[in-house]
Amino acid sequence: MKHRLPCWPNGFGRLLTALWLLSAPVLAQTITGRVNSGSDNQGMPGVTILEKGTTNGTVTDSEGKYRIALSGKGATLVFSFIGYTAQEVAVNGRTTVDVQLKEDATQLNEVVVTALGIAKEKKALAYSVTEVKGSEFTQARENNVANALSGKIAGVNATGLSTGPGGSSRIIIRGNGSLTGANQPLYVINGMPIDNTTPGGSATTNGGQGNVDRGDGMAGINPDDIESISVLKGGTAAALYGSRAANGVILITTKKGRAQKGIGVDFNSTFTAEDIAVIPDWQYEYGQGDMARKPTTQAEGIAWGRRSWGQKIDGSDFVGADGKTHPYVAQKKNLQNFYQVGKTFTNTIAFNGGNENITYRFSLSDLNAQSILPGTTYKRKTGNLNINGAFGPRITVEALAQYTLETGHNKTGAGDALGNPNWTPYMIGNTSDIRWLKPGYDANGTEIAWNDAPIASNSYFVINKYKEDDSKNRFIGQVGLRYKILENLSVKGTVSQDFYNYNFRYILPTGTLYVPNGQFTQMKTDVSETNAMLTANYNVTIAKDFGLSALLGANSRKYNYNQLNLFGNSFTIPFFYSSTNLANLTTTPTNQRIGTNSVFGSLDLDYKGIAFLTMTGRQDWFSTLSPKNNTIFYPSIGGSFVLSQAVNLPRVIDFAKVRASWAQVGGATPDPYAINLSYSMVPSSGQPLQNVSSSAITNANLKPLTSTTYEVGVDLQFLNRRLGLDLTYYNRATTNDIVQTSITPTSGYTSVYMNVGKLSNKGIEALVTVAPVKGRDFGWNVSYNMAYNDSKVIKLADGINSLQMATSVGNWAYINSIQGRSYGTIVGTTRVRDAAGNIVYDPTTGYAVKSDLHELGRGVPPLTMGLTNEFRYKNFSFSFLLDGKFGNKVFSVMEVYANRMGKLKRTLDGRENGLTVTGVTRSGDAYTNTIAKENLRTYYDNDKNYTELFLHDGSFVKLRQAILSYAIPAQYLRFAKVQSASLSLVSRNILTLYKRTDNFDPEQSFTNSSNQGFESLGLPRTRSYGLNLIVKF
Amino acid sequence: MKNTLYKFGIGLLTCLVLQSCDKGFEDLNVNPDASSTINADFVFTKAQYDAVGNMITGLQGTMQYTTSYNDVASWGSKYIFNQGTAPYTVFSNAYVNEINEIEEVVRSLEKDPAQSNKLAIAKIWRVYCYSKVTDLYGDIPYKQAAQGYVNSVFKPVYDPQQAVYADMLAQLESALGSFDASKGTFGAADLVYGGDLTKWKKFGYSLMLRMGMRMTKPDVASAETWVKKAIAGGVIQDDADIAKITYLASGQIVNQNPLSYWMLNSDYLKADGNSNPEGGKYHETFINYLKATADPRLPVLSVVYVNGKPSTDVSIQKGMKANIPNTKPSDFVTYSEPNQNTILKLNAPMLILTNAETEFYLAEAALRGWYTTETAAALYEKGTRAGLRQWSLYGADGAISQTAMDTYVKAMALKAGSFEQQMEQIYTQFWVSVFPNSQEVFLNWRRTGYPALVPNNYVGNITGGKIFRRMLYPATEENLNAENYYEAVGRQGADNFLTPIWLDK
Repeated sequence: MKHRLPCWPNGFGRLLTALWLLSAPVLAQTITGRVNSGSDNQGMPGVTILEKGTTNGTVTDSEGKYRIALSGKGATLVFSFIGYTAQEVAVNGRTTVDVQLKEDATQLNEVVVTALGIAKEKKALAYSVTEVKGSEFTQARENNVANALSGKIAGVNATGLSTGPGGSSRIIIRGNGSLTGANQPLYVINGMPIDNTTPGGSATTNGGQGNVDRGDGMAGINPDDIESISVLKGGTAAALYGSRAANGVILITTKKGRAQKGIGVDFNSTFTAEDIAVIPDWQYEYGQGDMARKPTTQAEGIAWGRRSWGQKIDGSDFVGADGKTHPYVAQKKNLQNFYQVGKTFTNTIAFNGGNENITYRFSLSDLNAQSILPGTTYKRKTGNLNINGAFGPRITVEALAQYTLETGHNKTGAGDALGNPNWTPYMIGNTSDIRWLKPGYDANGTEIAWNDAPIASNSYFVINKYKEDDSKNRFIGQVGLRYKILENLSVKGTVSQDFYNYNFRYILPTGTLYVPNGQFTQMKTDVSETNAMLTANYNVTIAKDFGLSALLGANSRKYNYNQLNLFGNSFTIPFFYSSTNLANLTTTPTNQRIGTNSVFGSLDLDYKGIAFLTMTGRQDWFSTLSPKNNTIFYPSIGGSFVLSQAVNLPRVIDFAKVRASWAQVGGATPDPYAINLSYSMVPSSGQPLQNVSSSAITNANLKPLTSTTYEVGVDLQFLNRRLGLDLTYYNRATTNDIVQTSITPTSGYTSVYMNVGKLSNKGIEALVTVAPVKGRDFGWNVSYNMAYNDSKVIKLADGINSLQMATSVGNWAYINSIQGRSYGTIVGTTRVRDAAGNIVYDPTTGYAVKSDLHELGRGVPPLTMGLTNEFRYKNFSFSFLLDGKFGNKVFSVMEVYANRMGKLKRTLDGRENGLTVTGVTRSGDAYTNTIAKENLRTYYDNDKNYTELFLHDGSFVKLRQAILSYAIPAQYLRFAKVQSASLSLVSRNILTLYKRTDNFDPEQSFTNSSNQGFESLGLPRTRSYGLNLIVKF
Repeated sequence: MKNTLYKFGIGLLTCLVLQSCDKGFEDLNVNPDASSTINADFVFTKAQYDAVGNMITGLQGTMQYTTSYNDVASWGSKYIFNQGTAPYTVFSNAYVNEINEIEEVVRSLEKDPAQSNKLAIAKIWRVYCYSKVTDLYGDIPYKQAAQGYVNSVFKPVYDPQQAVYADMLAQLESALGSFDASKGTFGAADLVYGGDLTKWKKFGYSLMLRMGMRMTKPDVASAETWVKKAIAGGVIQDDADIAKITYLASGQIVNQNPLSYWMLNSDYLKADGNSNPEGGKYHETFINYLKATADPRLPVLSVVYVNGKPSTDVSIQKGMKANIPNTKPSDFVTYSEPNQNTILKLNAPMLILTNAETEFYLAEAALRGWYTTETAAALYEKGTRAGLRQWSLYGADGAISQTAMDTYVKAMALKAGSFEQQMEQIYTQFWVSVFPNSQEVFLNWRRTGYPALVPNNYVGNITGGKIFRRMLYPATEENLNAENYYEAVGRQGADNFLTPIWLDK
C-alpha cells in the first residue's frame, strides 16, 4: 500500500516508474525507507536520494518516505537536502534504510535576496533584512499586497487606507525620514526599481469632489507572482540603490519557472466578502429635528435632514425628508442599510516548466472586486511571464514581462462633503432611514434634497449619478544578460521599464443641487521609469581563508511624467458628459522629466565564514538640482561576526552573531523644475495672461540631502533553534532635508522648497521566534515583533521652528513638524482653563475662550508590534496575527460634524432642561450661563473651535488575520492528477481587541501622503472573510 | 573579455573624472510648459483681473443688500461664522495673486527707464491692491510682503496700518508725478484704460481721494491734506473716466464677471426663483429702501419669479428677512432676486472706481470745507445722477430714462441740515449708488455710520448682535507666521470681527 510515488511532476514520475519497472526484474534490489529531520524527527519531504556514482535517483514524498531500485549490489545512497549535511549510507544488503539528516551548521543561515537582487547568506549581513514568503500574501489577501505587510515585520509600519478596492498603501520603515517627502520605500522587482506613484498625486486631507484615491503602483502587483518580499530596512541595505532607497527598499522577487518534464500548473482561487468593521456609537435618545422639535412638514424634514436635535424619541409620528409620515423611532442600521457586502474574487493560474537550458513561468490572474459602496467596482487583470535561459556555458538571460490592466468605477471620494457618498449614512438624522432617500434623484434627474446644505450631497444621488472611471494600463519589462568572462568574473547588463498610462474621468452630473449644470474633470497620465544598469562581479578566494567579492556598476535612470488635465464647467446639453459639451474648458499640461546617473561599487570580504565586512560607495548626479550642487558621494561600511563559530559557546546557544553598520544615502528633490522661477500662460479668451508657474518658491541653492544610519544588532538561536532572538538598534538622521513646506501666502507663495536642518529617528526592533512544539503531527510556532521609533525634529531652518504639513477641513487641526518634537505633531486648540482647571468663558459670546494653537499629540504611532501564532496538526494548519500600534492621536473630522448634527453622545447634555455651563471669566469672576435647549445646536456647533474635543488616542490592537488550512491528502486527488491541494478559511481585520475611538476605526485614514493623523469621513474600514483554494497539477 | 572589462572601466572612469555624468541634465530640468522670462504686459493683465475679482462676498449681506436662509451662506448678514474661509479670502487671495503679480511686474519694469509709464501705472495698481487688503484687516504684511522668492522672506512682518497708509499715499503721489507723455504705455493689456495716461492720472487721484477720506476718523488732518492734493490733481468727474473692467459672456471663467459668476453659481443659475443651492435673495432692508424711495433702479436690479418667469413689477418686489433659522421658507419663490439681464450678466462690467463715488466724496469734502468750487448739494446731485446713469453700462436693460432720473433726483435732493444729517443723506445715497461694490460701502459705513443699518441679532451670532468692523486674518496665519501674527494682534487687538483697526479709531 505504500507504493506511492513521490510527489513529483507527472511526466517525471511516470519516467521513474518506468525505470523502476524495467530494472526490477533484472536487479530485484529495492530499498524503501524514511528520512527524518534531526531536529524534530519529522519526515522530510523533497530529500534527494542518489545512488552514488550513477544517475539513478529519487526524492522523498510528503511524509519523508522513499523507494528506490538499485542498479548494483554494493550500492551507497547519498541523501541531500539544502541546509542539511549530505549523508552517504552504504546499503549493505538491507532493504530498509532510514536516515536522519542533520542541519548543517555552516549552512545554518538562509540565503536572502539583498540589493540589486544579489542573494547573500543571511549570516554575512551587517544589517537587518526580513524576508516574507509569497505564500503569506496569497491565502488571506489584501487587494494591495503592501497592506498585507502590516504587523509582519519589526519596524515596518504598513497602513491600509479606507478607500476601497484598488486603493493605495502606505508603508513607513523606521519612521518618517523626511519632513515633507513621500517617505515611502523604494519598490524593486527582481533587482530593478518600479514606479509606485499615485497618478495625479495622493488624495488630500481636505479635498472636495473628485478627491479619490487613484491607487499606487503596488496596487497593480499580483501576490501570486511573488516568490518572496525582502525588506531592506537600513541605509546599509539600501546604499546600493541610491537616493530613493533612503527610506528603505522593498524587494520583490517574482516566481520563476522550474525545470521539469511537461507543464506544471498552479491554480489559486480566493473569494472574500467584506463588511463594515466599526459602527459609530451615536446617541439614540433624541431624534431628528431642531430646537428640540421633530419635523412636522416636509420642509422641516429636509431642513433638519441631518440634524438630530429633535425631541425625545417616543415612537410618535414625524415627517421625513421624503414628505412621508414615519414613526419617530431610532434607526440604528443606516450604515448597514446603505453599504453592501463587498465581494472579491481572485483567480490565478500559472504554468511553468522548462529544461536545464531554459525555464519559464507564465501566469494569468483576474481580480474582480465589488466595494461595500454600491456601484463601486475594481478589476485587475495581470499577465506575468518570466523566462530564464542559458545560452552556452557563459551567457545567461533572464526576462520578465508583466502586463496589468486595472479598471475602477465609481471610487469613493472623501474629505469635504460635495460628492462624498459617505456623508449621508453617517450624518442623516437618527430617526430617518437612509433608504427613504432612494434613488436620490427625481424624474428630471435632479438630486433630491435631504438636508439644508446642498453641498452635503444625497449619497444615493452620488452612487447613482456621479461618474468616476479610471483605467490603468501598465507594462513592466526587464531583460538582463549575464556574461561569464571567467569562472569568477561576470558582467551583467539589465534594462527595465515600468510604463503605465492612466485615464481618469470624474463627472459631477447635471442636476446636482450644489452645481446644477455639472462639472467635468479628466486626467490622462503616462508615466515611465526606465533604468539601465551595468554591473561587473568578481569573486576570489585568497590564501584559502579569505573570500573577496567585488562589484562595480553604473546606472542610468530616466523618469517621465506626462499629464494632461481637463477641467470644465456647465454641460451645455444636460446629461451629455463630454469635454466637447462644456461652457468652458481649461487644459493644463504637466510634463516632468527627471534623470539620475550613478556609479557604484561594493566590496565584500569574508574570513572563514566567521567574519564579514562589506563596503559600498555610490555617486549620484541629479537632474533636479542646479549643476553646481547636483552630485553627492556616499559610502557605507558594515561587518558581522559569527560568534558561535569563532568560540565555544554554552550548548544552549546554537548560533550567535553580532553585526554593525554605518551608511549614508544621498537624495535630491523628487520634483523637477524646483530651482528656477518660470512663468506660465493662463488660458484666456481675451487678452493673454501670464503668471508665475509655481505657487512654491523655487530655490536654486538646493543641495542634496543626506540620510545617515548606523545600526547594531545581534542574532541569536537557542535550544536547538526553538528560540530565536533578533535585536537591532538603529539611529537614522536626515540632514539638509529637502522639504516643500507651506508658508504664509503673504510671502506671495504658498510653499517653498528648502533644505532644512536635521531630523532624527532612533529606535529598537526585536524579533522573537519560538517553537514550543515541534512534534511529528503537531507543531506550534510563535513569532513576535516589536519596534519603537523615536522621531525628533532636531533643527529646522534659521528663523523657522515649525512647519505646517497639513490642515483639516475647516482648519480645525493642523499637522506640524516642530523643532524639538516628533515628526508629524497634531496642533490645535483647547478650551482655556484657569489654574484651578475651570474653563474660561467670554461673556460677550457665551463661549469658552479658545487657546492659541499648541501641540496635542503625535500623528504617527511610535510603537508597533505584531504577534503571529502558527499551529499545525496533521493536515490542518491554523495561524493568526495580532497587530498593534500605540501612542498616536487621531483628529476626527467626522466627529466635528457628528457633534454639530447632534449625533455624538456628548451632545445629550442639556437636551431636557437646557445646558448650564459654569466656569470663570477672563478676570477670574465666576461665570455661569444656561443655553436653552432650543439653542443647543448653535452652541455645540461652536465646539469645532476646540480641537481637543475631537482628538482621540489612536492606539489599537487588532486580530489582523486568521487562516485555517487543510492540505487535502494527495492520494484522494490522484485521479485528477493533482499533486497537492489545500483549502483555507481566511479572514482579515477580523476584530479590534482594543481601541479608544468609539465612532470610527483608528486606522480610518484616507490618504497615503505623509499627513497622517486625520480621519475625514472616508469609506468605513472593513473586515473580510473568505475561502482560498490552492491546487497544483 | 579583458577588453570588455577595460572598456567598461574606462567608461566609469570618464564619468567620474570628467564629471560628464550630468550631461544634458540642465536641459532636462527645464519645464517645457513654462517660460523663463516674464511678459510684464500679460502678468499686469492678470493682476488687474485678480485684484478686481478679489472680494468678500459676505459683505453683500453685511451691507444688507442680500441674505440667505442658509446659515453658512448668510454669515455676513447674520454675523455668524463657524465654517469655511469666507472672511479670509481677500487676504489669502491677494498676496499669492494680484500682489505677487504686480510686484513681479514692477520688478521687471524697473530695469528699463523706457518703461517708466508702465511702471507708474503698475505702482498705482499696486497701491489699489494693498489698499483693498488693509482696509478690511488693519495691520497687514506690507514692506516685507511678496518677497518670498526675491528675498527669501517666508514670514513677513505685519506693518501698522497707519504706516501702510502713509507709504501707499506716498507711492501714489510719486507714481502720479512720473508720467511722461513722450514715452510708451500699456495698450490692450491694460483692461481698465487701454494705457490712457490721462485717465490713469484721474484714477490715481481718485484713489488718493478715496484713501484720504478713509482717514477722517483717525487722522482728519492727513485726510484733509490728501483730499486736497487729490482734488488739485484732478479726479474722475466724467462717466467716460470710470475705472472698470469689461468681461466676456462666454469662454474662460477668468474672462467672465467674477461677481456675476459667483452669484449665478452659488444661487441663481437655474433662474426659476426657487432652485437655489445657497438660498440667496435680496435683503428686506435694501428692497424696502428702494421701494420707499421709488428708486428707478429697482426694476433694473431686481426680479420676482411668477410662474417661473421673471417679473420686474415693482409692486411685487420683496426682500427676505435675515433672521430665518436655516430652513428654506415655504414662500421662498416670492422674494426678489438679482436680474439676470443686468447684474447677473457674465459680461457685465465690474466698476472699480466710479464717477458717482468721487462726486459723493467731493460732496463730503465740500461739507467739510475742503473743497469750495462746487456746493455739496450740487456734487451730491451729480453723484446721484452718475449712480443712475452707470446702469446703462450693463446694457439696454440697465438704461434708466431721463424723466425717471429727473424725478428721482428731485425727490432725493440734499436737504438742508446739520453736517451729520447731510452726511447721512450722502452716504445713504452712496449705498444705493455704489451697489454692488459692498466693500466700498462697508468701509464708508464704518467711517461715517451711514447708511444707518439696523443690526441683526440672530441666535448664535458671534458679535453680540453688532455689525462687523473688520474681517479675520486667515486661520493658517496663526500657524504659518505665528510670531508676526501674535505681534499684530497684540498691537491691534484680538483677531475678531469687532476689533477697531486704525482706520476705525
